[in-house]
Amino acid sequence: MRRQRWFTPWLLIAPAVVWLLVFNLWPSINTVVLAFTDAKPLGGGQFTGLANAERMLDDEQLSYALINCIVYLLVCLPLLTLLPLLIAVLAEKNLPGITFFRTAFYTPVIASAVVVALIWNWLLDDRGAINGIAQQLSLLQKPLPFLTDRWLLLLSAISLTVWKGLGYYMIIYLSALGNVRRELHEAAAIDGAGAVRRFVSVTIPGVRNTMLLVTVLITVSAMRIFSELYVLAGPTGGPGGRDMSMVMLIQLYSRGFTGNLGYASALSVLLFLITIGPMLLLLRFNRRTAES
Amino acid sequence: MRAKIATLAALVMLAATGCGLSGEDSGGDVDVSGEVTGKVSLQTWALKPKHTKYVEKLIDGFEDKYPGTKVKWLDQPGDGYSEKVLNQAANDELPDVVNLPPEFALPLADKELLLDVADTDDKLKKDYLSGAIDAYRFPGVKGAYGYPWYLNTDVNYWNADLMKKYGLDPDKPPTSFEDLVAQAKTMKKKSDGKMFLMSRKPSWEDLTNAGVEILSSDGEKFTFNTDAAAELLDGYRDAYADGLLPDDVLTDAYLGNSELFKQKKVAWSTGGGNFINDVKVDNPKLAKDIVPSKALDTPPLYVQGLSVSKKSDNLPTAVALARWVTNADNQADFAERVPGIFPSTTASADDESFSESDGSGAGDAKKLAFESLAEAELLKPVVVDDAINDVFNQQISLAVSGETSSKQALDKAAEECTKLLND
Repeated sequence: MRRQRWFTPWLLIAPAVVWLLVFNLWPSINTVVLAFTDAKPLGGGQFTGLANAERMLDDEQLSYALINCIVYLLVCLPLLTLLPLLIAVLAEKNLPGITFFRTAFYTPVIASAVVVALIWNWLLDDRGAINGIAQQLSLLQKPLPFLTDRWLLLLSAISLTVWKGLGYYMIIYLSALGNVRRELHEAAAIDGAGAVRRFVSVTIPGVRNTMLLVTVLITVSAMRIFSELYVLAGPTGGPGGRDMSMVMLIQLYSRGFTGNLGYASALSVLLFLITIGPMLLLLRFNRRTAES
Repeated sequence: MRAKIATLAALVMLAATGCGLSGEDSGGDVDVSGEVTGKVSLQTWALKPKHTKYVEKLIDGFEDKYPGTKVKWLDQPGDGYSEKVLNQAANDELPDVVNLPPEFALPLADKELLLDVADTDDKLKKDYLSGAIDAYRFPGVKGAYGYPWYLNTDVNYWNADLMKKYGLDPDKPPTSFEDLVAQAKTMKKKSDGKMFLMSRKPSWEDLTNAGVEILSSDGEKFTFNTDAAAELLDGYRDAYADGLLPDDVLTDAYLGNSELFKQKKVAWSTGGGNFINDVKVDNPKLAKDIVPSKALDTPPLYVQGLSVSKKSDNLPTAVALARWVTNADNQADFAERVPGIFPSTTASADDESFSESDGSGAGDAKKLAFESLAEAELLKPVVVDDAINDVFNQQISLAVSGETSSKQALDKAAEECTKLLND
């Protein structure tokens, strides 16, 4: 058998490593560096110490964005962790017409942002379907401001996120459910466990690691939410900019010829620090699981 | 050791990335004299494919007039143009001649990346309208940084069919804000709240028209938080509370009142002189129902121009090309192809063909727009960039929705916009 040269593995991973260095690591380090400067697209770049961090403390928009992301997280996390699992359990069964439902649940995932915006604006507009039907049925005297009230707008965006996320996480759970041994379900059924009991005692423990992965994915996505709020609230984040997300705020400051790249980078670093927490927790949990 | 390496790496990064474009002074006088020959690049903004033939004809004409020249034409798509130009400037790749509206030209002129054409061209004032040249003069920057190319303004467009349907006379459209509110009330009542006449929240242009001083004289502070501005916002707030405006206007999640108008969600829009021809493409049936009228107040002036890169390797040819594209004949030819845009040359100022209508709605709109140009002004300060505009719109929406007082919203907007201006 020929001995392989020492550099062969390095050669094989070189393209990926170069790609990561150029398009991932370098921009990341650059962002951290810029966070301590007053960089502009056309100049600037003087070291300003913690000036950007101080500015964050006084930034009302940032407090709105952080609150929005936290509310997003608190509402989306339970909904998107459990609902897709229930749907996956249902979609797994060979019921009549289940193919239609599998397709229906997954369609929003592949729908383009423009189409989604049109559909949801048509639904939630002051003259939209929901307000129209409610007024026809005399349930409302005047339309509900789904797209202009701070909290209703946030709730609308959350609904959109859940609608789009159900199919995506359902697919992840479906693959995990395939690994839950059927014998366990059969044994539990013989022991007299009902459907709910089997779901709690067999299904959930069987997909526990996947649930954790989904939880982390949702947490990171909630902190980085952009498109749903953007299509409903517009680039300005609704009246007063009170429905801005962190990513929208970063975009606001980094746009155009006079964008404040230094401050936008500082916001990016803050977002990174917030989202790295759940990732580290998952890493630690996975390590423990592997050890046990 | 590891810490030392990390520190060293960070310092290298800082040196490599933190410096950016220093906007160094490339010297005082620039010599644009010399033989017009060799290669030169021209960048336009979203003229392909609609106007490909026109631009190719322009380039052929230039190359025939100046044998030995070769023009490389670049056309950038409509979306993301500012980012494209920004990247070109940051990487020292700005084309020799580039189409820039004044708000794009300002930051580049500020960094001394554009040629001061007022300094290098003695005939500038003689050949181009002074208002158009002034659009390329910026506070705190000496000179003018673009050859004016074509002009446009806004006129009002009314959906005659909807107006008739809901008790209004399209031959007597509103002529003032008060009139607009009064007619909007009629439309709301007759349509049972299903149709709107008013279609936008107040803008920078509205504040300027209300006599509000937007910027301090030194250009360093926004001063629009006045009682007159608050009064204007109060008018819009009351109209919104009365259900005279659709919710869409508060979120900026739409492309503007023209989009609402095309979707027949509102019966009024503002637009350039060529708006009806644009609507014909999207909705031919609607185009027949559109009636134009003069802007409610002082019409806004929109200018497009060609700037010359100061770092061009072939300045004489670049200047000759910018001059060629913007000369009276070529501008008149372009304006004929695109009804509703107008030449910025003094030679075309009295051209009667622009002030004639063929009796169609589009023809009337073109005539109205041309007549409006005489009194049109730059109503939005050129220093207003995307971020400033967003912050302003956020607070205006808040005031119109009635969630904060108009004065409070204006104070906050002025404070935040000033911060961004001096960032």
